[in-house]
Amino acid sequence: MSMEKMLANYEFEQWLYKEAQLLDDIDFDGWFSLMHQDLKYQMPVRINKEGTERPDYTTDMFCFDDDIDLLKLRVDRLKTDYAWAEIPPSRTRRFVSNVKLDDYKEGEFASVNSYLLLYRSRSTDIHHDIISGERRDEFKFENGKWKLSKRVFIVDQTTINTRNLAIFI
Amino acid sequence: MIKTVKDIEDMTKSELLEHLNDTVKPEVGEIPAYVLADPKVYDLEHKKVFMKTWIFIGHESEIPNKNDYMLRDLAGYSIIVSRNPDSSIKAFYNMCTHRGMKLCRADKGNKSAFVCPYHGFNFKNNGDLIGVPLQKNIYGEELDKSTMGLTEVRIESYKGLLFGTWNDEAESLDDFLGDFKWYLDILVGRAEMEVLGAPQRFVIHSNWKIGADNFVGDSYHTMVTHGSIAKLGMVPSATYSKMGYQIHSENGHGLNLGTPNPDFAFPEELIEEYKSNLSSEQFEVLSNLKNMIGNIFPHLSFLISHTKVKGQLISNTTVRLWRPIDHDKMEVIAWFLVEKNAPEDWKRRSRESFVLTFSPSGIFEQDDTEVFTDITAAAKGPMPVMKNLTYNYTMGLHRKPVDFIGPGVAYDDKFSEANQRNFYKYWLELMNS
Repeated sequence: MSMEKMLANYEFEQWLYKEAQLLDDIDFDGWFSLMHQDLKYQMPVRINKEGTERPDYTTDMFCFDDDIDLLKLRVDRLKTDYAWAEIPPSRTRRFVSNVKLDDYKEGEFASVNSYLLLYRSRSTDIHHDIISGERRDEFKFENGKWKLSKRVFIVDQTTINTRNLAIFI
Repeated sequence: MIKTVKDIEDMTKSELLEHLNDTVKPEVGEIPAYVLADPKVYDLEHKKVFMKTWIFIGHESEIPNKNDYMLRDLAGYSIIVSRNPDSSIKAFYNMCTHRGMKLCRADKGNKSAFVCPYHGFNFKNNGDLIGVPLQKNIYGEELDKSTMGLTEVRIESYKGLLFGTWNDEAESLDDFLGDFKWYLDILVGRAEMEVLGAPQRFVIHSNWKIGADNFVGDSYHTMVTHGSIAKLGMVPSATYSKMGYQIHSENGHGLNLGTPNPDFAFPEELIEEYKSNLSSEQFEVLSNLKNMIGNIFPHLSFLISHTKVKGQLISNTTVRLWRPIDHDKMEVIAWFLVEKNAPEDWKRRSRESFVLTFSPSGIFEQDDTEVFTDITAAAKGPMPVMKNLTYNYTMGLHRKPVDFIGPGVAYDDKFSEANQRNFYKYWLELMNS
């Protein structure tokens, strides 16, 4: 790996760590400011296939299928006093690993794959939920900053074992 | 007064039934809390309700081609639903008749035969056993394959909705749905409908009846639970949810019909198709429909929801099962349906509005799940039985039904609990069956 790519890989690791912290700190406005206008934010439904044929997720049904406007709507909604699913907010911890830079054009475009392990606990409930999956992200460089322009989250469950996705992935 | 109450855990089956008959009183609007979280009630329910009635197993459009199949659950048992080479749909218990291994483990696929992973017994998708490895060598002429076909499941369909039952004595699906079919025509018979994508699946730590109760008649909660939606301008006002009719029919089915609607909630290109599939009365209801939310007993809920997304009005049509996993746990399985002949852009926007509002991330859905979970937790254990904690279902108890263009018992706004009382009345009847 070239030094340039190594540094870039590090830069995106730090970007993803910062993103995780903003979400875990329930700073949704701060998180939203990391998004690019062209955003596609998708989470396909995972399915059980017979053998090893791929993809084993649907390309026509999603748990999230947002553009920038819909994501904004979700963030705004969480700030109304009626978003009960997150009153009080879940305690979340996002563990990001296996960060791998694929395409990279300095100051322009990057595609980055990473793994996400998301721990969620609510209120006094002793149960916790774990959401595991892979993020396939794309970034565009804008005004000196990398912004997320696409995220496809491949969740590792066909039946999602958390009561809702009132949290972000 | 209630007799001294034993712990439900210590009750015999007949004592439990007697206790249910003493405490479940839909006719006066009183339902005890324990029925939402007691393991013994759940077990009895499985035998008396889920093993007796018609259970939704999918939509015909999910297996459009010959030899397509899908795996579904029928009252806790895995079944293979398969389209045969003659285009008929058949369903079988997913169990090899030789030693009981599951034949199929994928959600769906295309196969004309299923081979058991244990000893290789091979079954055609019409259920016939067609191959046994080394048959002649091992069994000689002694094995009669014709007696070893897969266990067939009784299935029937209405306007593409497929139902199955383990009960050979159950009335026909047509009779079971009865008057309610009039409304199902509007839901899924208005045009050629297809399921788009795979169903969404997620688990909620909630009793299944809370979901059914919520959809069968509870529009009252939308003002508060879904207050955020009105705040965001996606629906006209917080009280929009009262306008319309509450309607129920025999066998516990019920719906709330939101009307009027100044806008047409469906693709206008298809008006002729709607008119050709519906009676003029049904088309009139469709034309003025703002939303339609209901439940086919016991646990298939449905919804047509018309909201504003990114400044543009759009509707989506969904059905969902509250599949019981345990007394305090269910899997929600939600299917998105759309007019096959709708413009592609309309389909895309309709799906987008479904994902935004009623998928696991749905901004309506997620607030409900919070409520369902907490209600279940509060109903658990011996205390609610000891203290005879009950829920109040008296809303609209003294109101008189009105004349309505469609069949069933109708009330002239949606804020009533007549549908929930009707649901529990039939539930109790089955528990006694």
